[in-house]
Amino acid sequence: MSEAPPSSPYKSSVHLRLRLFKDRITRWLVGAGGVSVIVAILLIFIYLLYIVMPLAESPGMQREAAYHLPSAEQAVYLSMEEQAEIGTVIDRQGRVRFMSTVDGREISQVQLPVPEGAEVVGFSAARPNSGIVALGFSNGQALVIKLYYRASYPDDKRVITPEVQYPLGEQPVVVNAEGASLDRLAIQEDESFTIVGWTRGGLLSVMRASPEESLMEDEGGWTFERTQGYSDLGDIVSLLVDPSQRNMYLLGRDGTLAWFDISDLEQTHLRQQLAVTSKDTEVRDARFLAGGNSILVASANGEISQWFQVRDEQGVSRLRKIRRFSNDADISVLTPEYARKGFLAGGSDGGVAIYHATAGKRLLRERVTDAPLRLLAVSPRADALWALDEQGQLQFWRIHNPHPEVSWSSLWGKVWYEGYDEPAYIWQSSAANNDFEPKFSLTPLAFGTLKAAFYAMLFAIPLSILGAIFTAYFMAPRMRQLVKPTIEIMEALPTVILGFLAGLWLAPLLESHLPGLFAMLMLMPLLVVLAAWVWHLLPRHFTRRIPAGWEAALLVPVLLGAGYLSLAVSPLLEQWFFGGDMPGWLQHEMGIGFDQRNSLVVGMAMGFAVIPTIFSIAEDAIFSVPRHLTSGSLALGATSWQTLVRVVLLTASPGIFSGIMMGVGRAVGETMIVLMATGNTPVMDMSIFQGMRTLSANIAVEMPESEVASTHYRVLFLAALVLFLFTFLFNTGAELIRQRLRNKYSSL
Amino acid sequence: MLDLNHDMATTMENEQTPGAGDEDICLEVRGLNLYYDDTQALENISLPIPRKQVTAFIGPSGCGKSTLLRCFNRMNDLVDSARIEGSILLDGEDIYAPGVQVAQLRQRVGMVFQKPNPFPKSIYENVAYGLRLQGVKSRRVLDEVVEKALRGAALWDEVKDRLHENALGMSGGQQQRLVIARAIAVEPEVLLLDEPASALDPISTLKIEELIDELKERYTIVIVTHNMQQAARVSDQTAFMYMGKLIERGPTDTIFTNPREKMTEDYITGRYG
Repeated sequence: MSEAPPSSPYKSSVHLRLRLFKDRITRWLVGAGGVSVIVAILLIFIYLLYIVMPLAESPGMQREAAYHLPSAEQAVYLSMEEQAEIGTVIDRQGRVRFMSTVDGREISQVQLPVPEGAEVVGFSAARPNSGIVALGFSNGQALVIKLYYRASYPDDKRVITPEVQYPLGEQPVVVNAEGASLDRLAIQEDESFTIVGWTRGGLLSVMRASPEESLMEDEGGWTFERTQGYSDLGDIVSLLVDPSQRNMYLLGRDGTLAWFDISDLEQTHLRQQLAVTSKDTEVRDARFLAGGNSILVASANGEISQWFQVRDEQGVSRLRKIRRFSNDADISVLTPEYARKGFLAGGSDGGVAIYHATAGKRLLRERVTDAPLRLLAVSPRADALWALDEQGQLQFWRIHNPHPEVSWSSLWGKVWYEGYDEPAYIWQSSAANNDFEPKFSLTPLAFGTLKAAFYAMLFAIPLSILGAIFTAYFMAPRMRQLVKPTIEIMEALPTVILGFLAGLWLAPLLESHLPGLFAMLMLMPLLVVLAAWVWHLLPRHFTRRIPAGWEAALLVPVLLGAGYLSLAVSPLLEQWFFGGDMPGWLQHEMGIGFDQRNSLVVGMAMGFAVIPTIFSIAEDAIFSVPRHLTSGSLALGATSWQTLVRVVLLTASPGIFSGIMMGVGRAVGETMIVLMATGNTPVMDMSIFQGMRTLSANIAVEMPESEVASTHYRVLFLAALVLFLFTFLFNTGAELIRQRLRNKYSSL
Repeated sequence: MLDLNHDMATTMENEQTPGAGDEDICLEVRGLNLYYDDTQALENISLPIPRKQVTAFIGPSGCGKSTLLRCFNRMNDLVDSARIEGSILLDGEDIYAPGVQVAQLRQRVGMVFQKPNPFPKSIYENVAYGLRLQGVKSRRVLDEVVEKALRGAALWDEVKDRLHENALGMSGGQQQRLVIARAIAVEPEVLLLDEPASALDPISTLKIEELIDELKERYTIVIVTHNMQQAARVSDQTAFMYMGKLIERGPTDTIFTNPREKMTEDYITGRYG
């Protein structure tokens, strides 16, 4: 500007316009940058929400078809194949009818061999996905069949051909040798078959068929074992044998449940007998939940209760009522889903309700028909319903219920899972078997996240804040120029290396030198004080040679020495005080469990990762406290320490606080270190010697093995969303507090 | 140079004007030299500061007047490279003697800086700061002292209703008077004012000057100022410094109307500086 004379308005106006243009462009670019950051974060948030939302969707069902079933009053069993295209009806004549579910057209019919002079009186199905069903005859015999749907692909089109197989042969097997009628029947199949029959009057017949040992497979015959007994329960509504074929449950109409141990047929005995309904309430139906661990009992007052074995104080398994579900009407029939812990209940008012046991709630109730429901079948994928009412009307419904197991209580509350002694917070998303109950409690993960952050902060905050105070306020400027960049460069250390070192080097070292660590905690401050005292005693002409502010450098060998000494005496200490094994001593003497990869290791490794963040911000804040404030304080007769505590830290508090919160934010989201340095066990234990599993590590561990769009997948996204909200809340809260502090304490 | 100082010493002895000479001496500088590493910032300064009077240091920028002022409460100790020879006596005792507690000295010799520097605390806590440092906790004592100090600094009526508001919300002039209140709250003997009004507007400056006039009833005041008129208005004694040396000192009237040294006259009449 200076060379442009003011008398040249043209030149200066071009310059002015250019300047204005640059100003506008810059403002626009900065604005666009800021907005795009916000948009990016918002998009991430929206995407997470988009994946998670189906979890909260309420299930629905809609009618596809309704048609009349000829001789419907004879039907005893309905089922559907995997695709819900073909349904099967079995009736008292021993007829198996395969029908198209969408229009009721009969595809084929098989007449089962009913023995001469006998009629079908009992009926039972084994585990739903086995396809095994049994018919009990009035002559004490039973016929076991397997419904099998053969899929073939002629012309690239799927054709499903239903057929009936006879795993025990086409001849009925004898369950009761004396020919007592099998009025109630139960079957279970694994490699061997167990069939139980109950005859009016209380006679129980148990038959077990085991495959004969044979070198040639498929050729083996069967060996049969039989036993008999009496039950004093009146009329029996339901007879159940669990898939392990060890337990048999009898449900009397009056609400009495008898549990027999039938693992050894020579020594069958009653384990427990109890009332499962309130007094004078009849039982309508009882079924196993998928997996055969829980029994669902529907009673006449429209209540469904879930029971399973729980170990009591003496370690004896007892049946206990776990939870109850309510229905609006009297329940006539129950049907469990094949693989999930869900079930359907058909009411006498023609309504069908869908429940989920783990979620502990009714998901849906829909009026299907006006007549009482007699039989229900749910498709193996739980996406279709086939319902038969008392008037012979068959209805086919589509169900949309992809994520029944997720509810607020199953995500965050204590849930009483099958096989557990009490309600608990558990994360266990998968197991070896198919009918296992997924445990999606985010509580232990959130707890682990906060715990890891807590221990990291416990390690990092004192070190980094005290270090920042010393560096900014007491250290000689030349030394500061050296120290500050060194600590800041620690931030560039990849966390995978920290996690690797923590897991493979630090964790074993700490385990073998645990007493040394505690010795270090005591020895270090002691030696530092001692060193300061010795320094004080040294002659002035010697101490004066060390430039002011460099005295601290002399502590480095002291600290290293203290560290080395502590580790060196560790085996001795361990021998003297802890019988040579401190982790073991903790375990046995103190009852404190010791995990090699524990919170201590994580706290140190993650603390190490977080220190540069906190240190750098806090140091800047302390260093930029204006000189005139410290001078003002000193001029009033304050000592250095008083000035530090009353003026410097106060003025720097917004910066120190945001440093800490940045550290917390980082510790909460940190993945690699916790992934590698903890055992990733989702326990809820605050102990420093126990590990944890954090939300972030959980996502990293389980994402590769979760099926896209499954409940597990969506719950992992929910975990990500929770993590996102955690950091969002931490940062927002921190920023708000920081603003407040700044308004209050900023000096200018 | 030595000659000049010698001359001054003799003239001082001979002088019999009121306001100097045989009256009560609060602070006395004796042969003070101050070095920053190798550069000498103050050269052989000797002068008495009379009690309960206002002594002004004037001189061009960089002449060492602020440095000299900071020697009185040992603020130069904070500068690592500063080295001092000679002595300063406060009530006859050398403040640079070994064993002197600097924090206690600074309670006796308060200081107000060029730029108002209230702490980011409430008005009340700013004034109470010095007492809290000494461990005073009694609310009653603190209330009393705060009111007294604020009244002493002519600030009470303006702030009595907002004692617990942040001091940073005050105007610059008020902040400076708050800082003075903070300094007198600990009842020092000496008050060092380092260009206390140079960052303020004329009206605030006037208030500060009136305040100085009131404060000298109770305190010995040493003020460094760039503003010749201010020195003439508020001070009883004036010392003119140039290039780290004390050129001339004496009663303000004498210095401004009839300076002995040519240099002083040139400076006062605005020929340089």
